[in-house]
Amino acid sequence: MRYKILTVDDSKTVRIIVKKAFKTFDCDILEAANGVEGLASASKEAPDLILLDITMPVMDGVEMLTKLKSDPALKAIPVIMLTAEGGRDNVLKIAKIGVRDYIVKPFKEEMLIEKCGRILDLKPLNEGPQKAKSIFDPATILVVEDKPAIIQQIQEGLKHTPWKIHGVNTTGEGIDFCSKNTPDLIIISLSLPEEAAFTLFRLIRQNVKTKYTPIFALVVKTEMAAQQQAQQVGFSYIVTKPIEVPELESKIAKAMNLDTSQRYFTLDGDIFVMRLPENTSQTVVGEVLNYLKPKISEAVDTGIVKAVIDLHELKGLNMAVIKLLITAMQTCKDLALQFTLVGNTQIVSECKGFEDTRNWQFHESLADAKASFGRTPSQAQPAVA
Amino acid sequence: MPTIDQISESLFRETISRAVQDVFKTMLGKTATLDQTTESVVTEGAPWDHPVQITGQQVVGTVGFIGDISGLIYLYLEASFANDVASHMLGMSAAELEEAGDEVVNDAVGELTNMTVGTFKNQLADKGFPCKLTIPSILRGSNFSIEPISSATRRIYRFRIGEHQLVADLLMKTGDA
Repeated sequence: MRYKILTVDDSKTVRIIVKKAFKTFDCDILEAANGVEGLASASKEAPDLILLDITMPVMDGVEMLTKLKSDPALKAIPVIMLTAEGGRDNVLKIAKIGVRDYIVKPFKEEMLIEKCGRILDLKPLNEGPQKAKSIFDPATILVVEDKPAIIQQIQEGLKHTPWKIHGVNTTGEGIDFCSKNTPDLIIISLSLPEEAAFTLFRLIRQNVKTKYTPIFALVVKTEMAAQQQAQQVGFSYIVTKPIEVPELESKIAKAMNLDTSQRYFTLDGDIFVMRLPENTSQTVVGEVLNYLKPKISEAVDTGIVKAVIDLHELKGLNMAVIKLLITAMQTCKDLALQFTLVGNTQIVSECKGFEDTRNWQFHESLADAKASFGRTPSQAQPAVA
Repeated sequence: MPTIDQISESLFRETISRAVQDVFKTMLGKTATLDQTTESVVTEGAPWDHPVQITGQQVVGTVGFIGDISGLIYLYLEASFANDVASHMLGMSAAELEEAGDEVVNDAVGELTNMTVGTFKNQLADKGFPCKLTIPSILRGSNFSIEPISSATRRIYRFRIGEHQLVADLLMKTGDA
């Protein structure tokens, strides 16, 4: 649901600042320049929250608030005062009429967001249309861990990715980092002293900016109690020490909702290439299977008629990989895509050992495979009876 | 009940300084330092010997406060500073501001004055002098001087904000309000 926030202020400047502050959140800002306009807009639009100034011409904020609270249809709308009229007694008097919060100008945009975020479940808006970020896009990952060696291990292990791993040793530094930056993912070590990890988790979740940021817990494999607690609290994923970096990488990609398809599917000129990595684990097979049909259809849709299934990096075969390959070939056939295989000597010889793969024919290199398309289609297609 | 005479010069100075500093820091991330103070003068009809010295085009915001103490504050900004302030507050580029026009700059200066006078009078309210703000208004021009009625006490404070100057002209109604 898209929230509606009504800002009632005679100053256009304040209304612009309010609009600017909420620009990156999923909400609409309605404007009114005095109490009369404010009441009209409140009745017509039924906003989810009203930000109300006091000193205004025509009808001031106190009068509008009083009228609002005496109208059964409007009195439930939460109101936050946003005004230069402060002073203890004044604030107390107005608070009694019924306001959810009172912000005395001058104010910072972050503070406004924070206070509104306590009343509305504000969601950050993704810039532009929902475009999945790819595995090749930069991202910022914050690691809060009191042992520098672990931070270093993560940084080292993920250094081939475009992700920037920012390591800090204390929760204080973590909070500081989050206030100045918006990390795409946060990893918190549960070994921080005095349950600090859980306190930090709560603080991050309370901040509107990081409310939906994936948070991983880092914990020793054998510490079952801590893992259970982290799961209950709502950590997005539990990473166990010793850290298995490829697993961590794939979980991060998944949590950030990254498009990893480019790892396996690329276009080489007018040829669609599906490439399996050296270590095609069960996780990888699952990922490839997810992308397989949409990616091949997408290629066919753009006019591609040739495909290469490149296995030259693959170390060995297993049933999952064979099933994946059969599905891939069947999909190509269904879409009338001309395809051929590339494999190393290990794969070629392993293929001889299985009934299903015995007749597969391979080219030695991608270049050979591409050249083969120049010949007649029957020669290019390996026998896949 | 406290009376206005009990407010010392240093309290006025601290209160206005805190207000200007707080508003400029919060809204614009700028540090203001008090450069010069001209303390309480009641001229009783004689010409002012220290009008606000200004040069060039000015945008002046004014907001009053009425209650147990009454008065008003003028904030003088050079026109270029006023544009600077508006573009910062609104997050607009110089070109966007140009397109938006002077009205937007006036509104921003009005709001800045509103916040400053609000912060000033809220501190006094907490010391036992409750009062309410008035709606801001703006003066534009060059080579002019504002002369209040003879029964007013005038205090002028000059602030330095980066390379710019800001003058706060505080006029208070004297005697029983």
